[in-house]
Amino acid sequence: MVNVKKGVLVTSDPAFRQLLIHLDDSRQLGSKFIIRELDDTHLFIEKEIVPMLESKVEQIMENMNPETNDNK
Amino acid sequence: MATKDRKRRGKWDTYKSDDTLAASGSGGSDKDAAVPKAASHNLNGENAPPATFDEFGAKDYRKDMPLKADFSARPLWVAPDGHIFLESFSPVYKHARDFLIAISEPVCRPQHIHEYQLTAYSLYAAVSVGLQTKDIIEYLERLSKSQLPKGVIQFIQMCTVSYGKVKLVLKHNRYFVESRHSDVMQKLLKDAVIQSCILDDRIEPAQEEDQPTQEKIKFSHGNENENLDKDGADTADGKVPADIDEFYGKMDGDDEEDAEIRNLQLLTFEIKQETIETVQKRCIELEYPLLAEYDFRNDTLNPNLGIDLKPSTTLRPYQEKSLRKMFGNSRARSGVIVLPCGAGKTLVGVTAVTTVNKRCLVLANSNVSVEQWRAQFKLWSTIQDKQLVRFTREAKDPAPSGADASKPVVCISTYSMVAYSGRRTLQAEEAMKFIEKQEWGLLLLDEVHTIPAKMFRRVLTIVQAHCKLGLTATLVREDDKITDLNFLIGPKIYEANWMELQKAGHIAKVQCAEVWCPMTSAFYSYYLRSQIARKLLLAVMNPNKFRICQFLIKFHERRNDKIIVFSDNVFALKKYAIEMSKPFLYGETSQNERMKILQNFQYNPRVNTIFVSKVADTSFDLPEANVLIQISAHGGSRRQEAQRLGRILRAKKHSTDQFNAFFYSLVSQDTVEMGYSRKRQRFLVNQGYAYKVVNKLPGMESEDLKLGTKELQLQLLSQVLATSDADAEEEDIKVLLVVLYYADYHYNFQEELADGTIRIARREATMASMSGGQGAQYHAKAKAITERHPLFKRFRQ
Repeated sequence: MVNVKKGVLVTSDPAFRQLLIHLDDSRQLGSKFIIRELDDTHLFIEKEIVPMLESKVEQIMENMNPETNDNK
Repeated sequence: MATKDRKRRGKWDTYKSDDTLAASGSGGSDKDAAVPKAASHNLNGENAPPATFDEFGAKDYRKDMPLKADFSARPLWVAPDGHIFLESFSPVYKHARDFLIAISEPVCRPQHIHEYQLTAYSLYAAVSVGLQTKDIIEYLERLSKSQLPKGVIQFIQMCTVSYGKVKLVLKHNRYFVESRHSDVMQKLLKDAVIQSCILDDRIEPAQEEDQPTQEKIKFSHGNENENLDKDGADTADGKVPADIDEFYGKMDGDDEEDAEIRNLQLLTFEIKQETIETVQKRCIELEYPLLAEYDFRNDTLNPNLGIDLKPSTTLRPYQEKSLRKMFGNSRARSGVIVLPCGAGKTLVGVTAVTTVNKRCLVLANSNVSVEQWRAQFKLWSTIQDKQLVRFTREAKDPAPSGADASKPVVCISTYSMVAYSGRRTLQAEEAMKFIEKQEWGLLLLDEVHTIPAKMFRRVLTIVQAHCKLGLTATLVREDDKITDLNFLIGPKIYEANWMELQKAGHIAKVQCAEVWCPMTSAFYSYYLRSQIARKLLLAVMNPNKFRICQFLIKFHERRNDKIIVFSDNVFALKKYAIEMSKPFLYGETSQNERMKILQNFQYNPRVNTIFVSKVADTSFDLPEANVLIQISAHGGSRRQEAQRLGRILRAKKHSTDQFNAFFYSLVSQDTVEMGYSRKRQRFLVNQGYAYKVVNKLPGMESEDLKLGTKELQLQLLSQVLATSDADAEEEDIKVLLVVLYYADYHYNFQEELADGTIRIARREATMASMSGGQGAQYHAKAKAITERHPLFKRFRQ
């Protein structure tokens, strides 16, 4: 029996990879989404999750730099 | 802008409600007693016409502000919200700059366009140095590219019309209220409260026994007019519209009051000494705040010190300028002088003392700086050893007694020593009595931004001084208490432009760099799961940061530079220093060891690097140091950043066009440090500094650095994780100890508490709660107010 799953290869720096793993572990997007951890800079993740993940990451980045919201 | 507007007003509201809260808490009913009503106005409100916004949220005033025909020759835009923009490349830049510094607060001064803001306080300051309402408006009109907005004119009138009309002058040790405006005088004299305070209720035309053409006070030998001449030369070649030039001449002599006003008769009445407090308060209520001036030339009761500057001492142009403002009409005004760290604040202080030439009390904020002041007095002036009295915990010179008791001295002490309210030793008791008994000619306040109002008021009740001069480099604070200084000490007299001093070589040319250190994956995975205190520690202990720090140290040691590494976190401080086998010092290091380390750093060519905690932030004079690496800092405190930069600002010997000092701020990528770092830099960026972002240092690979292997990094990680929560928060606890031990730092801590509250608020939500975060800040202030010292209450009522 062969399972076919569409996935996306993510290349990132080691720290960001940890952030993704953290999101995966804590199920902040509702479910696990990492299919396989390949190496220090690469992850293989589910395709459906990508839009959600993108907005989540954006939100996290903004929280890290409150100043950028302030100067409008 | 809409949000900003709301926020600004919200701030005032909270401020007010704080005040009422405090007032009801202390059983009084008065509100804002210490601040005249006009001061609480600002331009953001109803006066300004609603601005239109473009797609980026910038204000568009094109419709409201038609340009004048010859606008290109004029350097200013005056926006209806009180912000003024100045072209620094304009031929009349010099004229406009001097004028703007006098009437407004510099907001941001990068290379080409400078931004200033008109505030009630700045206008108050302008009036106190002798500018008149109509001159301000007229000159501003001439400099502006467009018609002045009506709102701005009204604002200037409202803020200046009542200020500075009445002066409180101490002459022959009697207090006089003095004014050239008979209508104002009439009003004051009719007031019942003031009537009860008048000693002799005839108004007498002042017997003009003080010479009608007051001689100018000279500070140094010879170079008095040098910089004026230079100004003149500059204006000749540019095409300056005639009206601006002619007006400048008038403004330049701004010390002297206007001729026509001068022709009005000077009206005075004397008031009883013990009622000064009441009169001052009443005059503020009547919207005619008293300007305090000290006619030290005619003070015959207090003996002269008889000291002078040494002939070899020369003042730099800006130092002279600041002092000229202070001693404008040959009397001494109270106020604050703002100069960058390392630009010779101490010399300004010493010169002020020699000019007033009366008893003088100098207050600094640590024992180390007391020693520095003493050394500087000896270096610059002809003062003798027995005229210098130190009064600190470590060094107590005996208070003069017997026949010497009435001789004038310069006394140097710390804020905490004078304000201390617990039990003292017998010797200290005597010294305190001595300070209380004296009538000081000048009270000199070093690092004035650090004193909390409470402590300051206590100092003021103890010390009887005719004139107060505050010195500071950074007139910013994360809370809004800075404005209190305006009414506790006096207006800001002078503020220097950092970039211009740098260009002239008076302070070091600093290259600022923010170095981004990527987090290692192991550290980051724990970082994501930790509490905030642990997060900060993990970010500081990031092995990549360590390696970059070590690389920078090695690099600069090879250049024979002297390096200071700052870390707020004591755990990290020790770890880094021990790992690299460098000396370190922090709050608990004994005085003795400190001195040893510092001396070695200064004179031993083999000790080129020291690690220090925040105890070294201010008044820590190490002229040799020219590289500063910051590995951990306190949240988003702008002042700390600027003060730290100040450690390396002292002008270097071989001054060239190149950068001769370096300031690195190491920041762990993708952590909270990034946001803080941006906030911290704001002050320096506003002074015109540019930060270079570095995310890769060439040559790192070839260097032999520690923590290279994964195993070693993991070992470090486990050590970090093994620290108890207490250790992770070590910094705060240690700070507390430092606070108890060195009460001098007491104030820092208070402010930082407020800081901490913002931090929490920041993380919880974004924009909407930003103003809420501000609220939290004021909340903290409210708490502080309920614990106000009883003396403070007495003042408010």
